[in-house]
Order: sequence, then structure tokens, then C-alpha cells
Amino acid sequence: MEQLFALTPLIPVFPLLAFALIVLWANKNNKLSAGLAIGGIGLSTLTSWAVIAATVAAGHEVQIAGWSLPVPWLPTAASIFNTGFAVDGFTAAMLFMVPLVCTLIFIYAAEYMEGDPRYARFFAYVSLFAAGMLTLIVADNLLLLFIAWEIMGLCSYLLIGFWFEKDSAKKAGLKAFLTTRIGDVLLFAGMLFLYSRTGTLTFREIFKPEVLDELSRMLIWGLPASTVISLLVFGGAVGKSAQFPLHVWLPDAMEGPTPVSALIHAATMVSAGVYLVARMLPLFAIVPQGTLSWVAIIGSVTAFFGATISIAQNDIKRVLAYSTISQLGYMMIALGLGGFLAGVFHLLTHAFFKALLFLGSGSIIHAVHHGAEHADDHHTDPQDMMNMGGLYAKMKRTSWAYFAGTAALVGIFPFAGFWSKDEILAEAWVQWHEAGSIGLPFWAWLAGTLGAFLTALYMGRQIGLVFFGKPRSKAAEHAVEPGNRMTVPLLVLALFAAFIGFINVPFIANGWLHHFAGLVHEPAEVLHLEAVPFQISVALVSTAVALLGFFLGWGMYRNLKAGQQDPLARMLGPVFTVLKNKYYVDEFYKFVFIDTTVALANFSAKFDYDWVINPIVNFVGNTGRLLGELSGRIDTVVVDGMGVLGTARLFKWMGRELRLTQTGQAQNYLLVIALVSLSLIAMYLFGI
Amino acid sequence: MNIPFILTLILLIPLLGSVLILFIPGSNEKGIKNLAVIASLFPLLFSILVWIGYDRATGGYQFVENYSWIPSLNIQYHLGIDGLSIPMVFLSALLSTLGLWYSAKVIKHRVKEFFVLFLLLEASLTGVFVALDMVLFYFFWEIELVPMFLMIGIWGQKKDRPQYSAIKFFLYTLVGSVAMLLAFIAVYLNTGSWDITQIPGLLSFSPSLAALTFWAIFIGFAIKVPLFPFHTWLPDAHTAAPTAGSVMLAGVLLKLGGYGMIRILIPYFPDVFRASAIFIAALGVISMIYGALVSMAQWDLKRLIAYSSVSHMGYFMLGVAAAVYYGDLTSRTIALNGAVLQMFNHGIITGGLFFLVGVIYERTHTRDLTAFGGLSKHTPKYYAIMMVTAFASLGLPGLAGFISELLIFRGAFATMPVMAIIGVIAIVLTAAYILWKIVQYVFLGDFSQEKWDKIFDVRHWSWGEDIAPFEVITMVPLLIGMVWIGVYPLAILTTINQASYAILSSAF
Amino acid sequence: MQNIPLTWWLSVATALFSLGLYGALSRKNAIAILMGLELMLNAVNINLVAFNRYITPQNVTGQVFAVFVIAIAAAEAAVALAIIIAAYRQRGTVNVDDLDSMKF
Repeated sequence: MEQLFALTPLIPVFPLLAFALIVLWANKNNKLSAGLAIGGIGLSTLTSWAVIAATVAAGHEVQIAGWSLPVPWLPTAASIFNTGFAVDGFTAAMLFMVPLVCTLIFIYAAEYMEGDPRYARFFAYVSLFAAGMLTLIVADNLLLLFIAWEIMGLCSYLLIGFWFEKDSAKKAGLKAFLTTRIGDVLLFAGMLFLYSRTGTLTFREIFKPEVLDELSRMLIWGLPASTVISLLVFGGAVGKSAQFPLHVWLPDAMEGPTPVSALIHAATMVSAGVYLVARMLPLFAIVPQGTLSWVAIIGSVTAFFGATISIAQNDIKRVLAYSTISQLGYMMIALGLGGFLAGVFHLLTHAFFKALLFLGSGSIIHAVHHGAEHADDHHTDPQDMMNMGGLYAKMKRTSWAYFAGTAALVGIFPFAGFWSKDEILAEAWVQWHEAGSIGLPFWAWLAGTLGAFLTALYMGRQIGLVFFGKPRSKAAEHAVEPGNRMTVPLLVLALFAAFIGFINVPFIANGWLHHFAGLVHEPAEVLHLEAVPFQISVALVSTAVALLGFFLGWGMYRNLKAGQQDPLARMLGPVFTVLKNKYYVDEFYKFVFIDTTVALANFSAKFDYDWVINPIVNFVGNTGRLLGELSGRIDTVVVDGMGVLGTARLFKWMGRELRLTQTGQAQNYLLVIALVSLSLIAMYLFGI
Repeated sequence: MNIPFILTLILLIPLLGSVLILFIPGSNEKGIKNLAVIASLFPLLFSILVWIGYDRATGGYQFVENYSWIPSLNIQYHLGIDGLSIPMVFLSALLSTLGLWYSAKVIKHRVKEFFVLFLLLEASLTGVFVALDMVLFYFFWEIELVPMFLMIGIWGQKKDRPQYSAIKFFLYTLVGSVAMLLAFIAVYLNTGSWDITQIPGLLSFSPSLAALTFWAIFIGFAIKVPLFPFHTWLPDAHTAAPTAGSVMLAGVLLKLGGYGMIRILIPYFPDVFRASAIFIAALGVISMIYGALVSMAQWDLKRLIAYSSVSHMGYFMLGVAAAVYYGDLTSRTIALNGAVLQMFNHGIITGGLFFLVGVIYERTHTRDLTAFGGLSKHTPKYYAIMMVTAFASLGLPGLAGFISELLIFRGAFATMPVMAIIGVIAIVLTAAYILWKIVQYVFLGDFSQEKWDKIFDVRHWSWGEDIAPFEVITMVPLLIGMVWIGVYPLAILTTINQASYAILSSAF
Repeated sequence: MQNIPLTWWLSVATALFSLGLYGALSRKNAIAILMGLELMLNAVNINLVAFNRYITPQNVTGQVFAVFVIAIAAAEAAVALAIIIAAYRQRGTVNVDDLDSMKF
């Protein structure tokens, strides 16, 4: 079994190969392209299973310490920097989720994307995306992780802006790339601080207790190095996992095709941020009152904040997008409270049910879109829930799958989300009670519980609006269930959404996942990794708020008529408007950052070419030219005019004047000779 | 692989080609073009042979040729290469070959002169990288101005003010060279030698004289790099130059300054350099951020890329400054590796970008970003190639640009963290101007046939036609380079690392 | 002859020279000028012979010089007359006021 580990590097290679083949060879053939993409990710899935099997078989030691393969990569003075691959329990758990969800999404996309003029290109991009995420998981060092991280950024850019003819899509792609890049740069800086302070980026080397200890004592600008570095690294995660205040890109990412939304929101992109924090958790935990609490604070804010916006959205995918933001906040709460496994567990379950919900929404959009085409209606927005209604009767499979996903998200026993969300809330609850005072854990718990209520509310609203009541548009009336390639992945995901929670139920095998993946940070000796016992009170409270919220939402929207005002808008008034406009964060950013930067750029350009720098150059040049002209003038007038030509002119003048004496008559000359001779004689005689 | 006088041959063959072309009648364009391309293939081949044949274990200068040239002044014909110059020689040979090949297809006006000058340019550029005698160095350094000057002036487009640009380019760099020449003479008077390899051990300037000489040489190099605020000749020269001229300008010419800094300034004046490292790093960081901002405000594609060169060479400057500042040798070596690699990467990436601008410019005769849009839909091959190059330029991991940025910042974070942390802002700005300006305005959005026909001269570029095969062939070696260095930098870095380590450990 | 003092000879010569000079300067006819010149030459000849006779009687340098002067005067007269004839042919006059082509 040990040999199977050697297959690890191949996991990202298959989709990468699929990408290369599609781009260079198969791009004209749609069927072949899709086949290559699905084949690539399928092979990755199988390879992953082999590696997971090896990990399971290898036992506890390997699950903690991991298997690794260093590859020499960068020469650095006298030494060489190694990149490489590694597998431990955590990685194996991720390896179960990522390729599987990707495969299902790919299969789904093969039907969903049919008829798109850039079908092959789509599959090339998603293959690269999957390759990026898989590399990220199997990387044994921060640098390779960062490389994969950025490649995903590229893919998200390409895929969100996939329908770039639409103005909104191309802007959304740009926004996604630039917003996450702000986070990436912070991560980059953190990574390089880490590298320059420790001389290594390999996780296992960094998390040695002595290295961590050294990092906490080293100072960067008066702060412990570990604080600076972990804050910067967290900045990266905030960007990638769309945490407040860098969450703005994620809802706009809905401009991409729906399978992409599923891919970004479930299996790849946003999970990467949480994965990074989870992977680097010991670094955050060295100073417990420092960075780790920031993770929890940001997580709590995001969990609550995302959920509030979500209740006011009408676009079916935007509801889910804000839901993702909020759920990622839960994961951050867990990690911020030191509950490594609670966060990871929620990451895994969330991936399944959020992929399910997105694909389900895609299926609905697909159906409504076809309905609209059938009714020859080109104005209805197929993503607007106000145009739906009563779809349960028309698409049973999708509906049931969607209900399963909703149950998981809302946290209904025994669906996956119940177990994972509960573990997070339990973590907060226990810490609150241990502390005995109202501190961060209490607020985290409160944010989480209120968030759970809001989650249930917006999901109830969505279910009510989409599936119940009467169709509110022609398009919805003509909606039909899509084909098997789309519904089968939905049903598979529904199964996982229902049952995946059982891998970490405290009553079964003592929380199996906990032993398998939860102890990878044990060697760092800075985290308390024991599992939190099941808290029946927490479970009861959250189930109660979930049911309350769900039925509240469902009840209010179940029978909404076309053109009727949104009941929540009536209730909340201006608050609803603020929520609908996402607290005006986008407008604020545009005003503060984008406009300023563009203005600064224009100013710099003017400064450079029109106002200062180039004018100085031209001024120097022109001064030189003027000096030249001046010298030229001096030369003509003074040196040449008065000196050289002046002499000539003098003689010319003298000649002209003197020639008057030359009459040309020899007699005159003779007279002169005579007179001169006489005067000479006279001078001689008189002794002058 | 031991070809005698291989370095001389690298210089001589293009020169010979250039002379031979003079004897071909101007009407025989085909013969001229073929001869030029063939003449440039030899240096390329030889530079690869040199790279392979260079013994990394021994290090130091190899393939040395040393003959007396002007004995009365102790000037020698001294050539040799080490890990620093090998990539530069290769870069120069590669871009020359590609430039000639590309020009053979697109130059239709005064063909003979163009190829004569181009080969002369190649010989002189390569000469700077292999010369180990200061006079020889200066000789090639100045020769190179002439063909470039003429290329900009003659083959520039009327509307780009070629004369103004060419003269600006020539005079600006000449100002720097004069200061540099004086400093070289000062060095000679002090040491009695012109030999670049010997001088570091002989030089005994008083501190103030050393500083004066350092700055005189530095300004000469900084103008060439170009470092803020000496950069304004660059956008004008680039916009006016023909495509292949821009490629050589960005790809090789700018590297002369950088190469000189590492080859001459670090070994000669390590202490002065170290003392002013923070200031120089600040100039580098300003170049990075400022160049990126100015790029962002441009609407002319070539001008935008020209300013991006300012920004990218700012990274290089930061790397060099970090390499000479106080810090551990490993970090400093990494920074210098990054700086050298940044020069190489900038050569292939920005060279590639100029070729790609040429693709649309040759067909449409406009570079106005607002005129384009939606090309991604109609020219997928062009889009794909441009995307790889653009993302390499913005430092996407997995492509070449990232590796050098990584190394530079790795060194800078260790030696001068404040500069480094300010510098990383440029990474975001770079992404912004490349994606927002280049990609979004040229490739994304919708584009109809009416608009196409209105903007593009249909004789040159008909609806639905993609990038031509010869343009793809031009780009392929560059793309391979970008991906190769990005994925597996060990191959090129081993050579560079050897030289950087030697330079830094002997200088300080 | 011995009793005639040298000054007399010289006075004659001076008178002759002055006549010649006057003629050469005042006459407009080229031939008349030429005649004036001849007179002056003869005055010189008288001087030469007189000085020879009274100061160095032992040799005959004076006479020899005089003979030379006569010879040259003859040649000169020939050349000058030739020029005058040529000038006359060219200009139709021998009036020297009209022959001013030497003037620049």
C-alpha cells in the first residue's frame, strides 16, 4: 500500500494533461474535449482513492506525519530549495472531496454547456482549475500551494468572464481576479517573510516546535514575526475565501456559467482559503490572543453579514453566493477558535451540499431558460426567483435533490450540515462556558446562531419562491426537467449531502474523521486538538432556530403572486433596501479604491509625460538647442563676423580706397617717382 | 564541444552577414532576408553550445580570448563569459533570430538597409555581453546606438514622430555614456588596466572619488535600464520603432544597463553601492509602482507596454539593491538571481508582447485600445498566445515572470523589508493594467463584423482570420521559455546562481 | 677739356634730364614721352662719361656703362615703339590719357 503514495504527483497531472490536450489538439472537437476533461478528472479521482486507501492503511503515524516527496526546484546560493508533494490525513480527506465533486460537476457541465460556442474552451479552463486545486492540496510547501492558488485565480478570471460579450461578465472576471489578487499579494508577502526568516517553506519544517518558537520571538517592526506572517497569510485567505471585507468578488462571480459557480463555491476556489488557514493553523496559534482571534472575528462578522444580505436577493444564484460567504465565515469561526477539525469538517460537508445547491439552481435556470425559449420570451431573466414558482411539479428530481441540499445547509438532523455546523457552534459554546464570561466565543456563537436563523430564513424563502405556489411567468410554466447527465450528479450529491456527516458523528467510531484528519497539527504542539463533546443544548437551539427560520420564510413566500411586493421588504422597509444593495460596499470600494487608483494613474501619466518628467527632459533638450543656436549666433556675429571676415573686409576696404591712386597713367606714377626721389634727395641733403 | 574562437564567431558572423548583404543588390529582397536569418542562426546555435559547454562546476570566466589590441594603452581584445552573461548572450541571439525572421515577413520598405543594421545591432549587443575589457565594452555599448537610432528614425511611423524619438533616444543615452566614459578613464588612471576581471583587485580610490565614479557610471547604466526618472525616452522610442526594433529595444537593449550594473558596479564599488542601496532600491520601487500606474493610464498599446518595462525593470533594480545591501549571503544571492532572471524573463516576455502588438499593428495600423474588443471570440489562437504572455508578464505562478519576482522579493524581504512591502503593491497594479487595459479592451466584449471591417483594413485582416503561422512560429520559442522557466527554473537558475554567488561572495 | 669743371657737365646733364622729365611727364603723346625718356637716358650717359673722366680716368667703366645704356635705350625704343604701334592699332590713338587699362 505504501507504494500507492507515489501516485500522488499524478493526481493534478491528469487534469493538467487534459487542459494541454484540449488547448493544443482537441479544441475543435466538443465531444472529445468534454471527454478528455471528464476522463482527466475521473482518473484523478481514482488515483486519489488509491492514495486515500494508502493513507487509511498506513495507520495513525502516517496520517499525522504524512508521506512526502521532495523535488529540487530552485537553486539558492549554496543550497537548493525543494518543492514537493505530501499526503497526510487532512490532505487525504480533501482528496476525497475535491476530485469527486469536480467529476460530478464536469459530467453535469457536459450537458449544461451544450450549444455554447466555446464549449471546448470551457472544459480546458475547468480542467486547469481542477488541476490547480489538486496541486494546492498535495503541495508540501507554501510556495507550491501559492502557485496552485494563483493558477486558480487565473481560472476563476477566465471562467467568471467566460461569457465576455456581456459587459457585466468581463467586469466580474476582472473584479474577481483583482480582489483576490490583493489577498494574494498579502499572502505572497507573508510567505516571503516566512521564507526569509525560517529559510524554508515546507510545512513540516515550519511547524517544528523550535521553529515556531523562534518565529514567535523574532520581531518584524516590533511585532512578533508569527503575528505579522499569520496576519498576512490570513489576508490571502480572506481574499480567496471571500471573507469580509474582500467578499465583493464572489457574488459577481455568478456571471460565470453555473457549473463554474459550483466549482468555485464548493470544491475549489473558496475552499482554498479555508484550506490555507487550516494548513497554517499552528502559525496562527502561537499567539492565541493575537491572530487566531482575528480569524474568529472576521469569520463571525462574515457569517452574519453574508446571511443578512442573502435574504434580500432575488437572483437564485446570488442567494447561494452570499450563503457561501456566510458559510465560509462559519469555517473561519471554527478555525479561529482553534477548532481545526470543526472547520475542516464543515469545509467538506459544505462542498457537497453547496455544489448540490448550485448545480440544482443551474438545473432550474436551465429549465426556466428553455421554458422562456419555448414561450418565445427573451426578456425574462431566468435567474430571477420572482419569475419562478411552482417548479416542484415540473422537476421532481431536481426538487428533491434541492430539498436535501437545503436541509443540509439549514442544518436539519441528520443531514450533513447539522453535524458540521453544530460542531462549530459547540466549539464556541464550550469555550464560552470555559471562559465563563462574555468574550469572543460568545459573540462567535451568537453570530453563528443568528446566522443559522437567517440561513434557514433565506433558504425557506428560496424554496417557497422557486418550488411552490403558482408559476409567476410564462417561462416557469414551460420549464422542463433537464436530462440525466444533469440530474444524476444532483442525486449523487444529494446522497452525500444527506449522509457525509456521518464520517464525523461523535457516536459513531468516536468521530472517525477526527482521528483520521484531525491530528495533523499534533507535532506542532500548539493546538488543542481533542474533539469537543456533542452539546445537546447547542443542537436543540440551532435546530429550533433553523426550523423557525425555514418555516417563516417558506410560509411568507410560498404563495407569492406575480407582481406582489416582497413581504420582507414590506416588513423591513429601508433596511431591506440596504441589504438588497449589499450595504453599498461595492459603491464604497469603487469610490474609495478604484476611482482613486485610476485618478492616480491618470495623474501619474500626466505627471510623467505632460507635466513634469518629460517636460524636464524636453526642457533640457530645448535648452541645449537654444544654447546651440545662441552659440551659432555668436559664432556668426562675433568670431566669424568680426574676426575672420572682419580682417578680410578691412583689407578689401583699404584696397578699394587705395586703388584710386592708381590712375593707370604711367605719367602719374612717374611724377610720383620723381617727387619721391626729389624728396629723398632733399632729405639727404638737409640731413633729416 | 570545443569550437575555437567561439565568442569571436558569435560577434563576427552577424557582422560578416551585414557586410555581405551590402554586396547583394537591393532588388534581391529574398536573398537579403534569407542571408540575414541564416547569419543570425549561427550565433544562436553557438550561444546554445556555449551554454551547454560551460562548465558549471568550475565556474568563472570561460571560453576566454585575450589578445593585445592597442598595446600603448594596454587595451586588450578580451572576451569571456560566465553564468551572468550566458543567458544574456542567448537572449540576444534568440531575439535577434526571431526579430529577423519576423521582419523578413513584414519589412517591405528599404529592406537592404534594415537587415544590414539589424545584424550590426545584433553583433554590437552581443559584444557588450562578452567584452571583458572596458574599452571594448564601451566600444560595443556605443556602436549599438547607431543601428537602433536609424531603425527608429527610418522605419518609424510618421505619426509617432520618429525623428524626435530617435534623437531623444540617442542623445539621452549618449549623455549617460559620456559620464561613464570619463569614469572608466578615471578607473584606468587609477589601476592602469582596462581589464574588467582584474580591476576589482587593483582599484584604490579615495571614498569620495569612488562615490563620484560610481554615480557617473550608475547614471549611464540607469538611463539604459531605464530607471525612474530617466525613463521618458523609452515610451517614445518604443512607439516609434518598428516591431522588431521594439523587441530588441525592450528585450536586449534595456538589459545592457542592468548587466553593466552587475558586471561592473558591484565588483568595482561594493561599498559605495551598499551605502546607497536603500536609495537605489527606492528608485526601483518608485519605478515599479509609478511605471505601473502610468501604464494603467495609457491608451496606446505600445506605450503601455513601454511603461510596463519601466515597472518591470524596477523589480530588477530592487533585486540588485537588495543583493548589495546588508544581509545574509544566501538571501542576497537569491535576490541577485532574481534580478538576473528578471532581465532574462523581461526579455522574452516583453519581447513577446511587442511581437503580439505587432500582430495587430501590422494589420490595422492602429494601437488605440478603444478601437478593439472581442478579439478573443474571433482569433482564439492569438488570444491564447497573448494570454500566456500577458499572464507571464503579470507574474502568474507557473510562468516565468513569477519566478524572478519571487526571488527578488525573497531577497528583498530578507534585506530590506520596508521596500519589499511597498513594492508588492506593484504586483496588484500590474495585474490591473494588464487585465483591465490589454486583455479587456482588446479581447473581451462583443465585436461585430461591421465594426471589424470599419477598423481593420480588410486587405490585411479579413473577418475570421487568426494570427498567421509565421507569427505563431515567432512566438513559440518564447512561449516555451516562459512555461519552462515557470515550471522548472532549475535549468536556467543553476547557471545564474553560480555567477551571482561568485560575484557577491568576492565583492563583499 | 680739362679746364672745364665737372659741375658744368653735370649742369648740362641736369638740364637735359629735367627737359626729358618734363617731356615725359607733361606730354600726352606716347612718342613724345618716349623721346623724353631718351633725353633722360642721354643725360645719364653724360653723367656717366663725365664722372668717369673726372673721378676714375684710369679705367673706362663709365663709357662702357654708357654704351650699355645706349644699347638698352635702342632696344627699349624699339619695344616701346612696337607697343605704341600695337596700342595705336588697338585704340586708334597714342594719347596716354586714353590708354588707362592698367587701372583696376
